[in-house]
Amino acid sequence: MGYLKVLLQNLLAGPATEPFPFGEALTPKGLRGRVQYDPHTCVGCRTCELSCAGGAIRIEMKPEALEFTLWHDTCAFCGLCAFYCPTDAIRLSDDWHLSHTDDRKFEMIEKGRIPAIHCAACGEECYATQPAADLFDHPPSREELERLRGYCPRCRRKLAAEGAQP
Amino acid sequence: MGLLSRISSRSPWLYRINAGSCNGCDVELATTALIPRFDVERLGCQYCGSPRHADIVLITGPLTVRVKDKVLRLFEEIPDPKVTVAVGICPISGGVFRGSYSICGPVSKYIPIDVDVPGCPPRPQAIIEGIAKAIEVWKERL
Amino acid sequence: MSEPLSLLLSVVIFPSGLFVLALGLALKGVDRRVAARLQRRVGPPLLQPAIDLVKLAQKRTFVPDVACRPVFLAAPLVGVVAMLLAAALVPIPGVYEPDPVLGDLLVLFYLLAVPGVVLMIAGSASGSPFGAVGFSREMMLMLGYEIPIVLVIVAVALRTGQGQGAVITFSLGEIVQYQRTHGAFLFDPIMWPTLLAFSAFLPANLGIIPFDMPEAETEVLEGPLLEYSGPTLGLFRMMSAVRTVVVLALGICLFFPNAPAGIAGLAVWAVKLLVLATAGVTVLRVSVGRKRIDRAFIYFFRWPLAFAVVGLATVVIV
Repeated sequence: MGYLKVLLQNLLAGPATEPFPFGEALTPKGLRGRVQYDPHTCVGCRTCELSCAGGAIRIEMKPEALEFTLWHDTCAFCGLCAFYCPTDAIRLSDDWHLSHTDDRKFEMIEKGRIPAIHCAACGEECYATQPAADLFDHPPSREELERLRGYCPRCRRKLAAEGAQP
Repeated sequence: MGLLSRISSRSPWLYRINAGSCNGCDVELATTALIPRFDVERLGCQYCGSPRHADIVLITGPLTVRVKDKVLRLFEEIPDPKVTVAVGICPISGGVFRGSYSICGPVSKYIPIDVDVPGCPPRPQAIIEGIAKAIEVWKERL
Repeated sequence: MSEPLSLLLSVVIFPSGLFVLALGLALKGVDRRVAARLQRRVGPPLLQPAIDLVKLAQKRTFVPDVACRPVFLAAPLVGVVAMLLAAALVPIPGVYEPDPVLGDLLVLFYLLAVPGVVLMIAGSASGSPFGAVGFSREMMLMLGYEIPIVLVIVAVALRTGQGQGAVITFSLGEIVQYQRTHGAFLFDPIMWPTLLAFSAFLPANLGIIPFDMPEAETEVLEGPLLEYSGPTLGLFRMMSAVRTVVVLALGICLFFPNAPAGIAGLAVWAVKLLVLATAGVTVLRVSVGRKRIDRAFIYFFRWPLAFAVVGLATVVIV
């Protein structure tokens, strides 16, 4: 007979239904949703591509740019890419409104592009990726990192070791 | 789209097909109907046990080789007009099993899909959003 | 009004036909909504069963290749017609008394058995193995609940007959009249075992949890209804809606028909239907789980049969 008490309590307590889709839905702060890629912060290590569970990330190193493509319809939203990214260039926002009609399947894409440059010191072709923080023996400031952006990896190491004085 | 179609569109019946899924998405589908928090009956939906009663078909799982013929045969049993929703990333693209020897590729190669709900598994609210979109598509077809 | 015409109107418009169909669909809508509220959900709108019927009317009916086509298509029609006739037989106390030429309690008892038989035949005619399982389950269930209801009907008829000097009377009008003058059987302690037996018969005949195993969705893919779609499925739903009203109204008529005449009587009858539906159908449906068919079969041969036999014996002896 205990269930009769439960039923009465349920009647008195009222519906516990979330108002969605007729109202807002609760979105917790850490929800893993749509992926966002910031090419400015990316160091080009390709760890995200390696760790992607669904094989959703494709990084192509073309002569004119490093192109990052992520297809949300294969993304498992596991967050491993964001976990392993050393600079937080790839993040998962909390946008979960991703359902779409099938003809828009190939529009669910996050793209990013790091342009190819010529090294300011030696002229070699390289990508304008964010310099890695472990080039320095101390936590580098924003300006120190940005100063090295226009150089190839070898010249970045040389300049960082020499103290990168202006 | 007359009055009868507008009335009928408020009673879409859902039918689930598990095409080799890991059951994650199936568990989420069960929660959208059964638990009070995400009640899908508000939209007039109800889960039906027979494919003959179905209006909106929810497919989960990559189409595994073993189950492909059965799913295709089952799909033919469902009367038109129907709307197919691919729940989870497995039916859309193969999901985490993409490229495996045991799956036949995305479901849209064999069955026309109308709405996709990505996620692994998608949130119950995202599934309800997908079902609401499917009801819109179904209204056009009635 | 000439008699055949009034009979026809009583079957087609009021109290059977459109009226009982509308009432049955409204009761089903209330049942789903209240069940949802009891589970802390919002639930579908009250008109949902009617909307379902409109939608089903627009779809196509498939007939499987292995099915027996005439039986497959005729079964739901037979069920609906039988239930509409049964609804014309049940009196609405104070408002409507059925013409004796239509039949009495015995005819009503036979008509109440028709939906179960129709489900069985539909299950076997559809040619699917799930239909066969539904057929066997419905048959076992009917074997279980038919005996108590026979004893209940005989007990009520005996009590009414004895009180009026005759031995036994099966006329529903006389049963209602007797309770008006001598007090309802609901408050008569001699009839309480019979009342308990009837309350065990109610969920089994209506096919609700805990006795909905012939039509179980998750176990046998809806059993006999598996191959039905479109208008024929709509006919089955209509049959189920009318059956709900008929069985509940029979319960009211057998045990508590006291009501004023006229529109007030109709309102009182509707309120009683609502209360009985909410308590006897909805609350039961959401509280317990589905019984296994062999357990249900054994169950009917225990307490319901005991109560029915004790009730009949009490009426005979006292």
